[in-house]
Amino acid sequence: MTELDGYNLRLYVAGQTPKSIAAIANLRKICEQHLPGRYEIEIIDLMQDPALAIRHQIVAIPTLIRQLPEPLKRIIGDLSNTEKVLVGLDIRPN
Amino acid sequence: MATRDPKLPLFQDADETVQAIHQGDIDAVVVMRALEGPQVILLHGAEEPYRVLVERMSDGALTAGPDGVILYVNDRLCELTGYPSTGLVGREFTSLFEGAPPPLVADLTAEASLMRNGDDAMPVAVWSRPISIANTTATLVRLTDLSIHRRAEQIAAAERFARSVLEQATEAVIVLAPDGHITHASWRAEQLAEQPPVGGRFSEAFPLEAESTDQTGTLALARFSAESLDTMLATKPFHGVEVKLRGERNATSAFLLSAGPLIDDNGANVGSIVTLTDMTERKRAEEQQITMVAELNHRVKNILAIVQSVAAQTMRSSSTLENFADAFTGRLRALAVAHDILTETRWIGVGLNELLAAVLAPYRTPEDPRISTIGPAILLPARAVVPLSMVLHELTTNAVKYGALSTRRGHIGITWQVSGDTEKSVELLWREQGGPAVKAAAAGGFGTTLIDHLIRHDLDGSTQVDFDPGGVRWTLAFPVRGPAAAGDATMGSANA
Repeated sequence: MTELDGYNLRLYVAGQTPKSIAAIANLRKICEQHLPGRYEIEIIDLMQDPALAIRHQIVAIPTLIRQLPEPLKRIIGDLSNTEKVLVGLDIRPN
Repeated sequence: MATRDPKLPLFQDADETVQAIHQGDIDAVVVMRALEGPQVILLHGAEEPYRVLVERMSDGALTAGPDGVILYVNDRLCELTGYPSTGLVGREFTSLFEGAPPPLVADLTAEASLMRNGDDAMPVAVWSRPISIANTTATLVRLTDLSIHRRAEQIAAAERFARSVLEQATEAVIVLAPDGHITHASWRAEQLAEQPPVGGRFSEAFPLEAESTDQTGTLALARFSAESLDTMLATKPFHGVEVKLRGERNATSAFLLSAGPLIDDNGANVGSIVTLTDMTERKRAEEQQITMVAELNHRVKNILAIVQSVAAQTMRSSSTLENFADAFTGRLRALAVAHDILTETRWIGVGLNELLAAVLAPYRTPEDPRISTIGPAILLPARAVVPLSMVLHELTTNAVKYGALSTRRGHIGITWQVSGDTEKSVELLWREQGGPAVKAAAAGGFGTTLIDHLIRHDLDGSTQVDFDPGGVRWTLAFPVRGPAAAGDATMGSANA
């Protein structure tokens, strides 16, 4: 993976809430399908450390942040609508 | 789901969060707490997202059902109304207001009076939006406390009022904050100030003249340092301390310094109002009055001494009470004439011609050929007017009783001349003719004694009398000094 085509994604969740679990599952599925080998996912559990919310000013959980490629993008919700996630992350199918 | 640029401002994030909550896309939120920092709040039911947001609003908020019954209130609304939530939930929305209640409709922006438990109604802004809870449409109402805005408006109005009062004040009025700084100053105060007064300290803008020795007020205040003077003026009421201000412009002016507390609506002392009243004119008038009263006192005493002396001597030389009454009345009249003249001329003095005219007036008509007066104009000083008036009165009375004016054919010639440049003196000749033959017995009467005494003692002059059988001849010589010591003509020693 290179910096040019790699996706660095950070998903903020709140422990085992239904939306957090759904978001994690949906994100993995989308990445496997549309970005195989081109992504990194970091799951941040704000229940463990709420102070981590400050960096990206997280208010709603779950929230997905696309750190790379720039610019930063943010998607709020459980990522169940695949089309919206692809548009939001600006992903072109491989 | 919503996407955004994370660099956008936070309020947009809040919008998206609300939208996401509304759509059921999230089930937890992060809230910032002052002490604990960020905390994760889990959302459970469909109404929970609203409850979390609404609960943390700084404004009062409520949810009302379609029938207008209150379903939910936040803590802030309980604070504003003074009722617990149990006292509000279940009530009609309209029952919260005094007067005309705002209608419970979606998208309302209005103002109303919110009733409060045991207190006056509070002005509030009412804002409403429709919300959906469990498939029913309800109304979310936000109530914002306007009393702070109203208070600000009242303060602004009071400020405008105070400004217009200060602008119209003709005296120097200064408003001090409790720390001694000037917050307001009238137009007159700005004129007196050494520097633009507002914002500065009183002692800087209005430095008191501490060197003055005749201003007891200033000396007392000069004991204070500038700072403690400012604090004292701002916190302690005191009245009527006379002061002088430093600086050339105010060098000749005296001021009355007073300070009184400035009390706000709640009775709290929020500073003081200091006034500097210009006393210059008042002091001048007071000093003039004191001088005048002293002068009047002096003159009254002199007059009483003269009257006492004249009465005693007239009594001694009068054989009957009638004689006394005539002589005394005549002499009092001469005194009165002299005083009338002095009052009219404001104690400056009078011309010899005018004095003669006034004294002789009762004894002749305007074209009476029996009396003639010839001499240069000479201004008699005030101190000479009373004695000379009495001398002329005595001479006239004698002429009427025994001399030229006791017959129709008699004549009095009064002539005078002035000699000397700096030290002027007058020589006046009183010559009677055509009257009855003068008897030697006429000499030595009280009138003669009085004339001689007045001229010698009160006018520092000399007399010479010649009892010529054809008519008596008096020669009076006396110096004419300046108008000083007006009214000093005393007869205190006139006992001869």
